Amino acid sequence: MTAGAPTTVGAAGQGVAEAPQPQPVLRVSDLSAFYQTHYFGIVREVRAVDDISLHVLPNEIYGLAGESSCGKTTLIKTIAGAIQPPLNVVGGSVKFDFRGQSINVYESTPEERNAMRWQHLSYIMQGSMSVLNPVRRVRHSFVDFAFRHIGRSMPDFLDTVVGHLERLHLRADVLDAYPHELSGGMRQRVTIALATVCRPEFIIADEPTTALDVVVQKGVLAMIRGIQREIGSSLLFVTHDLSVHANLADRLGIMYAGHIVEEGPTAELFASPRHPYTVHLIGSLPRVGDAAPKKGLEGVPPNLADPPPGCRFHPRCPLAMGICSRETPVMEWAGPGRRVACFAAEKGITA
Amino acid sequence: MSPPLLEVSNASKIYAMGGLLSRRRFAAVADVSFTLEEDRHEIFTIIGESGSGKTTLARMILNIVPATEGTIRFRGVDLATIRKRADRLAFMRQVQPIFQNPFEAFNPLKRVDRYLYMTALHFTDARTADEVRAKADRALRQVGLSLAEVKGRFPHELSGGQLQRVAVARSLISSPALIIADEPVSMVDASIRMSIVNLFKALRDTLKVSIIYITHDLATAYYISDRIIIMKKGEVVESGNAREVLAHPTHPYSILLKNSVLSPDPSRRDELLAPQFSSTEKDIAALR
Amino acid sequence: MLSILKDLLRYNREFAAGAALLGIVVAMSAMSALAPMPPDDVYVVPPDLPPSWTYLMGTTSRGQDVFWQLSFAIRNTLLFGFIVALLSRILSLVIGLLSGYLGGFVDRVLMSINDTFIVMPLFPILVMFYFVMRDRMSWAALALVMAGLGWAYDARLIRSIAMSLRTRQFTEHSVYSGMSTRQIVAQEHLPYVMPIVFSTTMNNINWSIGLEVTLSVLGFTNINTPTIGVMIYWANQHTAMTAGVWWWVFFPVALVIMVFIGLFLLAVSMNEYIDPRSRLSRMRSAKT
Ligand SMILES: Nc1ncnc2c1ncn2[C@@H]1O[C@H](COP(=O)(O)OP(=O)(O)OP(=O)(O)O)[C@@H](O)[C@H]1O
Ligand SMILES: Nc1ncnc2c1ncn2[C@@H]1O[C@H](COP(=O)(O)OP(=O)(O)OP(=O)(O)O)[C@@H](O)[C@H]1O
Ligand code: SF4
Ligand SMILES: [Mg+2]
Ligand SMILES: [Mg+2]
Repeated sequence: MTAGAPTTVGAAGQGVAEAPQPQPVLRVSDLSAFYQTHYFGIVREVRAVDDISLHVLPNEIYGLAGESSCGKTTLIKTIAGAIQPPLNVVGGSVKFDFRGQSINVYESTPEERNAMRWQHLSYIMQGSMSVLNPVRRVRHSFVDFAFRHIGRSMPDFLDTVVGHLERLHLRADVLDAYPHELSGGMRQRVTIALATVCRPEFIIADEPTTALDVVVQKGVLAMIRGIQREIGSSLLFVTHDLSVHANLADRLGIMYAGHIVEEGPTAELFASPRHPYTVHLIGSLPRVGDAAPKKGLEGVPPNLADPPPGCRFHPRCPLAMGICSRETPVMEWAGPGRRVACFAAEKGITA
Repeated sequence: MSPPLLEVSNASKIYAMGGLLSRRRFAAVADVSFTLEEDRHEIFTIIGESGSGKTTLARMILNIVPATEGTIRFRGVDLATIRKRADRLAFMRQVQPIFQNPFEAFNPLKRVDRYLYMTALHFTDARTADEVRAKADRALRQVGLSLAEVKGRFPHELSGGQLQRVAVARSLISSPALIIADEPVSMVDASIRMSIVNLFKALRDTLKVSIIYITHDLATAYYISDRIIIMKKGEVVESGNAREVLAHPTHPYSILLKNSVLSPDPSRRDELLAPQFSSTEKDIAALR
Repeated sequence: MLSILKDLLRYNREFAAGAALLGIVVAMSAMSALAPMPPDDVYVVPPDLPPSWTYLMGTTSRGQDVFWQLSFAIRNTLLFGFIVALLSRILSLVIGLLSGYLGGFVDRVLMSINDTFIVMPLFPILVMFYFVMRDRMSWAALALVMAGLGWAYDARLIRSIAMSLRTRQFTEHSVYSGMSTRQIVAQEHLPYVMPIVFSTTMNNINWSIGLEVTLSVLGFTNINTPTIGVMIYWANQHTAMTAGVWWWVFFPVALVIMVFIGLFLLAVSMNEYIDPRSRLSRMRSAKT
């Protein structure tokens, strides 16, 4: 909806992207968000997002990777302002800077936040069923969700929707189906269609392609990237699938147990990973034609309710040293555009 | 000679979809046949286009939806004849599912451990609360979790990968002969993916379980499967030894599938937008 | 159970207020056990006295103490409402959940019965019933009839929810955990309809008490069992309002309104307790 509207800094927006220091659209500083439950006297705190800083530039695709339950979903929920108790933001800030309008998510009123969500932001949630009403046909979800924002007549609107669905390899008759009549992948694409039909400026997507076959996945990724390039929006993209990141992300953040442990331009990160965890992730990618036995990472994922002291990776790290179990490494500059949190990497040792 | 473990013969499923006036009948699964032998424990992989009827086929084998045409026999018993609760329980003890989306597979208002206890109670000899918990804990440990982490928690308190591992653990409790895993690893990261996939291998080799593994991930399919079928629009377009089929696909769709696998190599990323890819889109259109 | 109640009282203001209101009403009905005279006796106290310390709520033109009379009336009315609601909730739950979950033939039969009940005009039937029963007409018989008439609409509502629950993946997951139809319906699906059950219970009590009052005021019930409606009936017979004996009408009406508000608040807070997420949020915000 904002895409067609003339923007005051429209031309400048593109120009700035080439300048050495463009203004980030999203700036997350020292963000911490915990699940805090007090259940009949038992206090439990899951530190799923712990002191995270990152920024996303205009026209950039930022990928977020990390193993299951490391807090990826929690982080982007916090960024999207979609938090619900027991999740609480305990520190830090999330600032969006849209063309000519900025908003600090946790210092704004719920109304302002909602307005932002509708106008500029679109959030594709993990597990697609939640946005589709199980007892209504898919058509109604589109009408409820996007009709107001597209602002055309109903037949025109439906034409737009059908055209959009086609880009996702979906036929128009999914509109007449109930969600349970669609396959998992079709539902997922319907959700993506819902979230992108309004052409938002900032797209947050949580595992949007995990239930898709590789052919469709490729098509959907191309479409997402197409829309993103076309309207110059930014994309914060979460998946544990590094092959997807390799093909989509401009910059990549690796998350482990609630921290971002490494960050850098995708190509460089793949070429020379610094953090032992990143090294493992990239090394363990299964490939077609490769039947050599592969193992998962030794040890168990840390329990975020009671994380290990020091570097949270140390119980599983092949390079762990004495200091690792005592002190927490901080994110340090490690070359142009790169940051890493590891004592060994600091000294130039790599796995 | 004992009957085969599973015999799917010419199974089809016809659905009607669309509005009230323009109902369109189409075959979600069309004339699929294959056999799993009793004493050849294998991982049988189904790969295919999204919406090609993989889940529908799985649901037919699980006896959740009846086949419109054809028959499915498990150990010689036609699934259509299983009616009584005792028979159904006996069948379910031997055939267990893992569902596609872990966020939908658990009741949001109920604690997740409940499914483990229920399975242990109905399908094993565990009777006391302690025995039931022990069974649940053992199964969870096989997938890298423990009862302590899961106990008393609601689905929204666990991540997607954790939930999927609980689902895998649950299916192991009754020591089934056949597990039907519908995209069990699509929600989990490469590391856990490898441990689940390795677990399947171990189940096949040590516990003598056959597994029907539905996936989109050609790499793990290549890694663990013995046989494979490739589906498109409800039909099997190619089948055979997994390594051979994946290494040298012959059907155009299988070739397209193989070529669409994203390479984990950022230097080739521009393929996504390159004209090559648009030709892929044309391929899809032509295949439809 | 106790800890849940404690929890609700501590963290939920609506619940506390509703419980307090109902507590007063229940205490009032409990007073009936202490009444110095049986409810049927007339002219045991001087008639038409306004409220005073001796006669807290005054006396009626029939020489009854309003306070004691009211304690019997509210007891009977409450019991009446609860019994009608309880019976009709059980009917609508069983029929709605089974019909929705089982579908097919069972659904068609149950729903055609249901539709018959929905279109039946209630008031004429109740009046007719009175004329048929005449002297045998009792409070309990009326409750049974009203329960038999009051379930149909809510059963339909519950059925529609159960139908959508049936298509959810977790239902299949429950089946494969070995749960029986009874367990699935009573444990997996019931929590989803509980909010509706609570709010409709409140509506239903409302409806049955309202209808009972109407019937009684018009004299179509057994006017010898004191209920709130019967009290107002007698007050009208003696033109209490025009005669200035307002307390004969005011106190019964005030008490009934307290019942309505109390039940409403309880229903609201119970709804919230059923959804674990909003419950947690409330507990947290109370803490900070
Ligand atoms: N409502 C909640 N209450 C308590 N703990 C929670 C809650 N939601 C999530 N968690 C915990 O927070 C941690 C992070 O969960 P999150 O969903 O962010 O993981 P994730 O990185 O998205 O994983 P996945 O890739 O499996 O989806 C997990 O350990 C999870 O159990
Ligand atoms: N209950 C139903 N009623 C009508 N059509 C249905 C129903 N269930 C599935 N279908 C249709 O059957 C086709 C096959 O669906 P199915 O879920 O089996 O696909 P799938 O191969 O599992 O796809 P995915 O990989 O996306 O999960 C789809 O076109 C779907 O719309
Ligand atoms: S800080 Fe130490 S334990 Fe942590 S990743 Fe680096 S070497 Fe390993
Ligand atoms: Mg997640
Ligand atoms: Mg499927």
